[in-house]
Amino acid sequence: MQTNKSFADRIDWSLAFILFLFFVVSLIAISSAQTAGQYGANFVPKQAVFYIVSIAMIGVLMYFDPDQYKKTAYYLYGFGILMLILLMIAPAGQGQIGQPINGAKAWFHLPFFNLQPAEFMKTFYILALAKMAAAHHEKNLVKTLKTDGYLLGKIGVLLLIPLAFIMQQPDLGTALVFIAITLALIVVSGISWKIIVPSFGGVAALGVLLLWMTLNMQEFLTSKLGLQPYAFARIYTWLDPYSYADNEAYNLIAAMNAIGSGEVFGKGYQGRQVYVPENHTDFIFTVISEDFGFIGSSTVIILFFMLIYHLTKITLQLKDTFSTYVCAGIIAMITFHVFQNIGMTIQLLPITGIPLPLISYGGSSLIGNMLALGIVFSMKFHHKNYMFGNHKEDE
Amino acid sequence: MKPPQKRQATLAKSKLKSNTVFRMNILFFSIFLLFSILILRLGYLQIVKGEDFARAIARTEEVPVNTSVPRGRIFDSEGRVQVDNQPVNAITYTAMQTTKRTEMLEVAKELAKLIEKETNKVTLRDKQDYYIMLHTEAATEKVTDEERAAIESEDITKKEKQQKLDALIREKITEKELESITEEQLEVLAIFREMTSGYAMSPQIIKNKDVTAEEFARVSERLTDPKLKGVNTITDWKRTKTSDLVILGSTTTPEQGIPANKLNYYLARDYSRNDRVGTSFLEQQYEEVLQGQKSVVKNITDGRGRVIDTIPVDEGQPGKDLVLSIDTELQSSLGNIVEEHLRELKAGPNSQLVRDAYLVMMDPKTGEVLSMVGKQIGRDEDGKTVVNDYSFGAITAAYPTGSVVKGATLLTGYEQNAIELNQVMIDEPLQLAGGDVKRSLFNQSLNNRVPLSDTQALEVSSNVYMFKIALAISGNTYQHKWGFSVKAEDYNTVRNSFAQFGLGVPTGVDLPNEGSGLKGRFIAGEPGIFLNLVIGQYDTYTPMQLAQYISTIANDGYRMEPHIVKEIRKASTDGKTLGSVETVIEPKILNRINNTQAEIDQVKKGMRMVYTGNRGSARSYFGDADYTAAGKTGTAEISYYDDSESPFYNKPSINTAHVGFAPYDDPQIAYAVLIPYITTNTKAVPGTTHKIARAAVDKYFELKAKPSEESPTVIKAPYNEEKEATE
Repeated sequence: MQTNKSFADRIDWSLAFILFLFFVVSLIAISSAQTAGQYGANFVPKQAVFYIVSIAMIGVLMYFDPDQYKKTAYYLYGFGILMLILLMIAPAGQGQIGQPINGAKAWFHLPFFNLQPAEFMKTFYILALAKMAAAHHEKNLVKTLKTDGYLLGKIGVLLLIPLAFIMQQPDLGTALVFIAITLALIVVSGISWKIIVPSFGGVAALGVLLLWMTLNMQEFLTSKLGLQPYAFARIYTWLDPYSYADNEAYNLIAAMNAIGSGEVFGKGYQGRQVYVPENHTDFIFTVISEDFGFIGSSTVIILFFMLIYHLTKITLQLKDTFSTYVCAGIIAMITFHVFQNIGMTIQLLPITGIPLPLISYGGSSLIGNMLALGIVFSMKFHHKNYMFGNHKEDE
Repeated sequence: MKPPQKRQATLAKSKLKSNTVFRMNILFFSIFLLFSILILRLGYLQIVKGEDFARAIARTEEVPVNTSVPRGRIFDSEGRVQVDNQPVNAITYTAMQTTKRTEMLEVAKELAKLIEKETNKVTLRDKQDYYIMLHTEAATEKVTDEERAAIESEDITKKEKQQKLDALIREKITEKELESITEEQLEVLAIFREMTSGYAMSPQIIKNKDVTAEEFARVSERLTDPKLKGVNTITDWKRTKTSDLVILGSTTTPEQGIPANKLNYYLARDYSRNDRVGTSFLEQQYEEVLQGQKSVVKNITDGRGRVIDTIPVDEGQPGKDLVLSIDTELQSSLGNIVEEHLRELKAGPNSQLVRDAYLVMMDPKTGEVLSMVGKQIGRDEDGKTVVNDYSFGAITAAYPTGSVVKGATLLTGYEQNAIELNQVMIDEPLQLAGGDVKRSLFNQSLNNRVPLSDTQALEVSSNVYMFKIALAISGNTYQHKWGFSVKAEDYNTVRNSFAQFGLGVPTGVDLPNEGSGLKGRFIAGEPGIFLNLVIGQYDTYTPMQLAQYISTIANDGYRMEPHIVKEIRKASTDGKTLGSVETVIEPKILNRINNTQAEIDQVKKGMRMVYTGNRGSARSYFGDADYTAAGKTGTAEISYYDDSESPFYNKPSINTAHVGFAPYDDPQIAYAVLIPYITTNTKAVPGTTHKIARAAVDKYFELKAKPSEESPTVIKAPYNEEKEATE
């Protein structure tokens, strides 16, 4: 059955407009960041190219309907895992395809750009997770604690495989993204509160306990649990950067100096005074905050919030569980990225290397996020197909 | 009509759907909270704390830079230069935090064309690193893939792997390859290594030895050339001593920088790693005063953290000058007296153990050290006997000093109510239980009983009088061949009392590492040792302690803190007269002894009798002096333990000491002389110590009578004996 709406009407122009705003913010921020000229390359046109490529990709993605994503979800998941395996065994020498950057073996070095498989794996993981949870609910019409526990187990298996590969790269930031996605889906997928509340509470309590032990019981952690002392450094530099003169503390202090000194109105485009390393990628938020002050930085946060709000609205419109779960996963992914990335620059969270979605320079990150958003576009595009076919939903 | 199962499915589905909507709302609400936290925190940082951060940035841009302000100079009491700064031309290089090694290398290449640089400091490691820099590809290819893989597979951190790899590469660079580095390249390397040995923002001296005027001019002309970015020409200072007086101390050179064991101490005080710091004696003691204040500049940085301009914020200040209480003319004359007598002594009989001699002279009223002489016999390269300055021995070398302490013993006796003023006691050889006999030197024969008053006891240096005081302090009375016992508290009583005079405790002199002498062990079964203690034959004292002790008696019981620095002055503005006074070191009373003025006067009287009385032990040395003086001699019988290889090890020897003050009525000087191991023949003790004391006091009054030619605030050349003699 065909929709009675025109092709143009079926495109989510609001979402497209929000993305356009991100495109503008990204280019302005990157062009300001690289006034230092420290990288010997102009990233603005490159980022523009990435945006154009990803828009083309969205076009392709919209051609397929959600059903097709549902059908291929496990294959995509398997493909992603395969890429992670290939990356793990890729030669890691100087100038070779798997050469580590900043100590993490997370990229394929391709002729035109570096590809980070984990960025795409996130979306594939969301698809697989959504398909699995949707299928579970179809099979188990009557929900019991037992079926919920079974679902939780399956989610755990799906999570652990990519998580293991990513942790060994090592890439803690991305690993946390996977966990965030999973937590969101556990909530949305309808698992009983009787399971969620104690287990989330337990994990949170364990986290707080570990944090407390890091500060007060180092001896125990190193001798009994075999943790390396350098793992604590991250916590210390986070809580008290002024007392720890290492690299991370230096980054955090520089970031806070940059952001704080931006004050309300900022120092104007390219008016920065503080040198923050990696300010075109992971620390791009410091550029926005220093140049445009509280007004600029909170505007960007509100822009992200509008994106999330819009995605949530779409989620609630979609009728089938698979699509709902996919959207929820994507929302969780973007939210976590934003919260972690901005949070680490303002001392809310310890520093982990993950980019600010849609704004940080980087092909893999941008295309990875656009891949996810492309699927949302597709769901919205094909959504009206089901207007008159409620019963077809389950086929 | 739907089958029941289908209806149930629809029901479950709609239930699931509404549940999902509910849960999506929870999710959305959580996200809303998270974003609110972000905005709140941003608001806190940017609005509430924004100004603080803006100020913090402005502050971190201000850095003290090592502009080589000259260190303070040291003058003697008459304004004669003792330690000076000589200007030397220097070429420096300052790296910025963002300067890359390749940029430094380019500057080094450019600079090598302009100056000559010695290459003897270049190490093998430097050459290897330089070779790798020049031939990176060839060098990395030296390591085979297998070796690389082997290192990769090891269970070590990335950094260690890289270090291992680098070490392997260095190993594989052959001699021949290193020889391919040309002379010119070697010079570049020599310059480059100096550049990289420094720290960002801290000027590193590239060359400060033998910089020719041409080199200096060539580099100066091109300072603005971007190819020489970071290079500067400055006037550096070289520390030079114009006196051989050891207690002036020494400093590190900029190449040595801060001593490694004090690194954190100095870095915390805004020093640079290549700063000169005082490492001994006065230079160390007055480091904070001598070290100037560095200039502070504000670095204007661009967005990449590169410094584009520097603006001076604070010009900095040269270090402050020290004026000593020591007059080098007196110091030099007394030094000669001590040296002559020491040489004479060494040339005489039984002088195998003679090695050093000390003389400290101070103003008993102010604590100003007028002279601090220490001389030690040594041998030069040719094996000839030479006499070296050993002035710091006056505060570190401690020996049993014999009867010179008897003044303190008497005063302790009064204080402890063991004796009364003018009390007469019998000097007789004391026969102790076990057959031991303790006697005075002047009264050797058993059963010879000589009644002595307290002053007479000092005059003839009666040991027995002192022993009887000690017995009274410890609650004993002498009885023939009667055993007695002494408690540890009795030792403490005597030592605490002696400490009031500075004996056995640090005197507080303004020099580092002052020694306070050794305290002998308390041995319960040997009460005789306690008797030795009160005649200066058990604990050891330094010459400075002796000087402080006699000063305290001369100064009516007030113990003054000795000091060598009299004034701290600002740097001279005209180079001709001393700068204005910053601080005058005020006389500092450490304590007053616990005796009445009458008791102190009694001891002074006794000491006067030592010099003038018929039986006075120093009458032959001071009896004919045309000034009034008082003092006390001391002879300690000891065993030689300093060198276990020596044939005299564990054999008896003698230390002699002499303390005194003059004039008697209004003391201007107090002095102490000490010669350890003066003889190996305990039956024939030379009077050198007392001769030195007499000659020194004569010299002091002779120089005092000489009219001073110029104001002491006029800067003068160092004291020169020959020149003064011919005038």
